[in-house]
Amino acid sequence: MNTILTVYKKELKDTLRDKRTLITSIVIPAIIIPVLLFAVTKLTSSLMKKEADKKLKIVLIGNTEAFKKQLEDSTFTLLSNLSLEDGKAAIAKDSLDAIIEFTPTFTANVNDMKSGKMNIYYKSTNLMLASRISEKLEIIKAGILGERLKKLNIAPETLAPFDISKIDIATAKEQIGKMVGGFLPYIFIIFCFLGCMYPAIDLITGEKEKGTMETLLTSPASRFHILIGKILTIATIGLAAASMTIIGMVGGLKYMPNLPADFLTTINDMISMKFIIMLFAMLIPLSIFLAGMLSALVIKAKSFKEAQSILTPLNFIVIIPALLATIPGVVLNWQTAFVPILNIALATKEIIAGTINMAQYAVIVLSLIALAFVAAFLSYKQFSKESMVLK
Amino acid sequence: MIQVQNISKQYSLTKKQQKELQTNTSSINAVNNVSFTCSPGSVFSLLGANGAGKTTTLRMISTILKPTSGNIIVGGESVLDNPEKVRTKIGFLTGSTNLYDRLTPGEIVQYFADLHGMDKTIFAERKDKLFTQLGIHEFSKKKIAQMSTGMKQKVSIARSMIHDPSIVIFDEPTSGLDVITANSIIELIKQCKQEGKTIIFSSHIMSEVDLLCDELAIISKGNLIYSDTMKNFRTQYSHQSLTEAFIDIVKHDGQKQEVVS
Repeated sequence: MNTILTVYKKELKDTLRDKRTLITSIVIPAIIIPVLLFAVTKLTSSLMKKEADKKLKIVLIGNTEAFKKQLEDSTFTLLSNLSLEDGKAAIAKDSLDAIIEFTPTFTANVNDMKSGKMNIYYKSTNLMLASRISEKLEIIKAGILGERLKKLNIAPETLAPFDISKIDIATAKEQIGKMVGGFLPYIFIIFCFLGCMYPAIDLITGEKEKGTMETLLTSPASRFHILIGKILTIATIGLAAASMTIIGMVGGLKYMPNLPADFLTTINDMISMKFIIMLFAMLIPLSIFLAGMLSALVIKAKSFKEAQSILTPLNFIVIIPALLATIPGVVLNWQTAFVPILNIALATKEIIAGTINMAQYAVIVLSLIALAFVAAFLSYKQFSKESMVLK
Repeated sequence: MIQVQNISKQYSLTKKQQKELQTNTSSINAVNNVSFTCSPGSVFSLLGANGAGKTTTLRMISTILKPTSGNIIVGGESVLDNPEKVRTKIGFLTGSTNLYDRLTPGEIVQYFADLHGMDKTIFAERKDKLFTQLGIHEFSKKKIAQMSTGMKQKVSIARSMIHDPSIVIFDEPTSGLDVITANSIIELIKQCKQEGKTIIFSSHIMSEVDLLCDELAIISKGNLIYSDTMKNFRTQYSHQSLTEAFIDIVKHDGQKQEVVS
């Protein structure tokens, strides 16, 4: 045990002096992620506001007098004297937002209580434009319909045989938990993997490449003790990276401006001791599993470059199950509870929403512990091979 | 004392390696039935061309590699039965300094002392003695990455000698080093000899061998082709320099093997 601790302490000190590891494991998740999150949210809301407030330039073609009065307000600038073709060219050049073309029979049809036809020309890439115009036209449409019903002496209820009220009984915590809970594990699992990746290459392949492994193997420490010390260091960095991601994201969300009160309550619940213990009970074996798996793979490499090329495809093996958890309909059940990485992502979502099944949670933790042992054992098998540890 | 008893080391070849070596055999003998003894207080030199099997032999003595057959007794312990005990008795030094770039000399030496389970007081005294002797104190706060090759080699010596090993293995310790640094290694070997340590030394630099060795063995293509005391060697090859004699022995063995095959 003393030897493992000696190796662990040295490797941790050595690794924490590596700028690349510090940037990947601490700086990016703790600082860059929340800053990006904050900046992207701020930018999106500012763009949405800008789009909503933008005064739209619209050309009306056809017999439009009745509509012109109803459409004209502070958010629409109505233009005329432009042909359809010129209008389309103007939309293509972004000097015009839309054309509303009334067919020649439009006014007559509307007046005769028939259906008038209009065409709207616009670019679907122009966000919110179609909905803003439709919203306005729907109001006019409702007005005409009301007048028609009045003329025919029909009560508006006649057209609505029943009224539907949707009552959502999901708590705000559940709704927000399932939303944030899908995204959060995706990020922290990736950072846990990246946090393990660089130390694994440095402590295993790097030591082999620099020749320090040969010297280390002449010390009285057994290969088992050396490897366990290294795996624990790699897992610690992976765990630190995952923790920093969670702290960064939760902190970033907590201090985000204009956040709804329900959202804030859910975020505060996430900082509870119960959530932290439940999350770390999964994260610790996950980090050891990743550390063991990465060690077993990078030990085959003779250089840092070769190790990186071995691990690149592994990125997808980690990302895909984490990404699956963000897809609606993929839920935690007795099947998904046994799929590594996917299970931790789904369980995190359920823990945040407060709907976790404890039996399934126990299975996840136990299966992750078993996987951690298997990965460490496979790594030891590789580390025991003479051809693997020497250059 | 080191007793090497009929050791062999066989490596199995992958198909790719067979193709590269242009051979159909599925394994290769890196070391073949080699025996010799190194006594305390003397320097035993292991000579051979590149790829002859010197490093493999030294790695088997230091327990990094396991012999395919035979045994090695190091300080009374078998490398097969008690490899960890063997490693408590040995110090291993090579020409490539093999140090951790982000650590300081003190941290590296402390690490190896801890792995050897050294007592704190003994460690402090031993470290101070070695650092003073090697002049490491003046750059002890620097990280290895900021050091010259000479400085690194001094730290490497301190790391190998911190636990005061009774057996020291030097694998081409001066290769690639400047004259001054190489000389400090020569002085270390002399000092180890005076202290009664068992020393095994491999080198391509014949002047060093001539200066230091009490016994020598020549290994070629994995076979031990010569082993005797330096005194007998000098008598036997009095008309030749060490380099000439070495080349003669290796060439003669090559011709002998060609005739046999």
